[in-house]
Amino acid sequence: MSQRPHLPSFLRRYGTLIGFLAIVVFFWTQRPATFMTLPNWVNITRQMSILGVVAFTMTIVMVTGDFDLSVGALASLVGIVAGSAFQNGAGVGQAVALALLVGVAGGALNGLLVAGLGISAFVASLGTLTVFRGLALYTSGGASIYGRVIPTEFSSFGRGALVIGEITIPNLTLLAALALALVFVILRFTIAGRRLYAIGGNREAARFGGIRIARLRMLSFVISGLGAAVAGLMLFSRLATAHPTQGEGLMLQAIAAVFLGMTMNEEAQPNVLGTLVGVLILGVLANGLTQMQIDTYIQQILTGVIIILAVTLSSLSQRGLRAPQWLRRLLGERSESA
Amino acid sequence: MHMQIRRASKAYAGTPALVDAALDLHGGEALGLVGENGAGKSTLIKLLAGLEAPDSLDVCLNGARVTIPDSAAARRLGLRFIHQELAIVPALNVAENLFVNNPLPRIGGAFVHRAALYRLARAAMRRLGIDHIDLRQRASLLSPGDAMLVNIASAFIGADDHQQPLIYIMDEPTAALNQAEAERLYAVIDRLRARGCALLVVTHRLHELFRIAQRVTVMRDGRVVNTRQIATTSAAELIHEMTGLSAACLPAAAEVSSEPADVPPRLRVRHLQTDSLFAASFDLRAGEIVGVAGLAGAGRSQLLQALMGIDKLQAGRIELDGEAFRNPAPAESWKRGIAYLPEERRSQGLLLGERISHNMTLPHLDRFRRWLALINRGAEDRRSQQLSRSVQLRATGIGQRLRELSGGNQQKVMFARAILAKPRLVLLDEPTRGVDVGAKRDIYRLISELAADGAGILLVSSELDELLALCASILIMREGRLVGEAATADLDERALLSLMFAGAGS
Repeated sequence: MSQRPHLPSFLRRYGTLIGFLAIVVFFWTQRPATFMTLPNWVNITRQMSILGVVAFTMTIVMVTGDFDLSVGALASLVGIVAGSAFQNGAGVGQAVALALLVGVAGGALNGLLVAGLGISAFVASLGTLTVFRGLALYTSGGASIYGRVIPTEFSSFGRGALVIGEITIPNLTLLAALALALVFVILRFTIAGRRLYAIGGNREAARFGGIRIARLRMLSFVISGLGAAVAGLMLFSRLATAHPTQGEGLMLQAIAAVFLGMTMNEEAQPNVLGTLVGVLILGVLANGLTQMQIDTYIQQILTGVIIILAVTLSSLSQRGLRAPQWLRRLLGERSESA
Repeated sequence: MHMQIRRASKAYAGTPALVDAALDLHGGEALGLVGENGAGKSTLIKLLAGLEAPDSLDVCLNGARVTIPDSAAARRLGLRFIHQELAIVPALNVAENLFVNNPLPRIGGAFVHRAALYRLARAAMRRLGIDHIDLRQRASLLSPGDAMLVNIASAFIGADDHQQPLIYIMDEPTAALNQAEAERLYAVIDRLRARGCALLVVTHRLHELFRIAQRVTVMRDGRVVNTRQIATTSAAELIHEMTGLSAACLPAAAEVSSEPADVPPRLRVRHLQTDSLFAASFDLRAGEIVGVAGLAGAGRSQLLQALMGIDKLQAGRIELDGEAFRNPAPAESWKRGIAYLPEERRSQGLLLGERISHNMTLPHLDRFRRWLALINRGAEDRRSQQLSRSVQLRATGIGQRLRELSGGNQQKVMFARAILAKPRLVLLDEPTRGVDVGAKRDIYRLISELAADGAGILLVSSELDELLALCASILIMREGRLVGEAATADLDERALLSLMFAGAGS
């Protein structure tokens, strides 16, 4: 009685996680003194927090099978909006409220184009990306907003932390954890979350099964816009500077993190815990490679290669393709002789 | 010229679709091919076209053995096909579409010879007497009838340049054509015959058969039943051969409780009109099972989709228990107590990657709401387990993914979804298609129980014995119209089939 190990499903579920652990072990051996320390890990969570918020909310959009390419540009725009508000004498509460409103409006615009007018999410959010970036550049005149116009209570939040005895939790980490928890509850426990997965699983079956698709897709883009706004504010607060393009890098990384997370799900569905691992992989890579003083350009190449590797491996097992002969022989024959 | 086809067999996933079929095509002759839906006609054509690999197939062309591994080989042998499905590329213009399945005329090996392309396209269209279609028009702008004409014309590209007569194989070429267009095609068929071409024409229209064919072959259940001269047969005889004897595990017809006439019917439909449905009117009483019969493309599924609110209503009135509703949508329909099992359960009904329980509760999630937005998962699981027992689902548990279930058990999940909220009206589209015998019996029992519980049931099925056994009366549809309603007490399969075929008496 021998149970042949089912290689594809094993790789599909745990391949990415094993890869992540391998990366951690690698940096641990390379930088034993600094990498595996509590302060460094606290640092990693702070570095990842902004990307995390965008990636977590992006997960909701991708659950329905859509994309939101505009999040990075929207995050930049939101920073400029808040900065301009400060320049015009607004208080922190007013500026933050205005910024969040802009995020929701930007998301609603995407939702209207995609769910209301039926434009493909790729084209619609590529268009709004350009609009948001143009708006940010125009409003700011292409210059950064920094210095004394920014209230210190706003800029100190991004650098501040909650200290409980020995443990220090950065405010940004707390915000990201809150976003993670919210998205987790929405996707896992709410009726809307169940319906979002149904739309992504089979749009026609969802419609025939009585689900109002346009409404939910609209909602997912609004949440994504809100996530982009929160991330934009976090970035502004942490840097104490609003630059019209400072959020640009977030979009690609967020989508990559969701993809990495999808590789950990048996049905290749986006899921927020998977996205968290995806974000961790990107964060640890950046942190570890920087500690090893590897050029940031090389970091980009490595990150890209790892994403392609992970997605390729999981899509191979998705399609039910068999693992290479040598790997099968190694695993299969050993277990059969056992 | 002579083409001999022998031992044509094909099974899909162990289910035979075509069993040892034999046909002979002769130059100068049109052979008609008739049979019910699923008799194996289209499968035979796909084998000859090289679109499906046969389990066995011997073809002799003018005495020489040939093989047809792919569609290019079929073309080289001089076979030309008009398939039922439109092979139109919307982004190309009409002339370019005519060449999608034909080699393009070239200059210098790599460049398209535009002048020759339009010349050949014009010649092919003229052959069919078509002069109202602009060759430079984008194909996406064509009406369905015109698109079919273009589809047909592409079989005649370069036909004049061939030394040898060709073999034309047509699968319901006139299904989308009006009378005048069909007449033109008949004339083309006559001309091709006169030139010595051989033709094989699949048709559901028997009067058409008597107009164009010299011989006719009847198929049933994947086998060739008979081939004879058209002059020695009649429409009635052909229908008898198409239906054959029925054998099934069918339940006894359900007793319908007669209600007083002053109670409004469960469903009252008046002059219902959509893109593909014309002025449908009928009543359905609570506890009644009404069948819907018709050939493929008669509009049966469209009728259910209109009632469900999937297709947009252009006109008409739907009343459920005397209450009218306008502009229905699937979400409201489920809430009103209408349950729907679509024809394509895999693509239109199920979430294959999700758990059984999630599939059962999909349209009913509001019933499991707690704390504003959350799902009461305990209640959901309990209800799913209960439903699994009612429909006798065979699965490892309610957490199993739909993908892993057999067709019959997948359909039982759809039934569980339908009965979850005690429906008032159940719309069933081919509920036993692709389902094994055991599951079929369970599904028949479920349908009877639903009716006994007081639901009104509208049952679309291509299996006539099923309709006759389950339903009290049957609506007959033809080309998007409801053309009649017949009580099953007065019907047998033969009579039902002649009602489904248009002009069967001619």
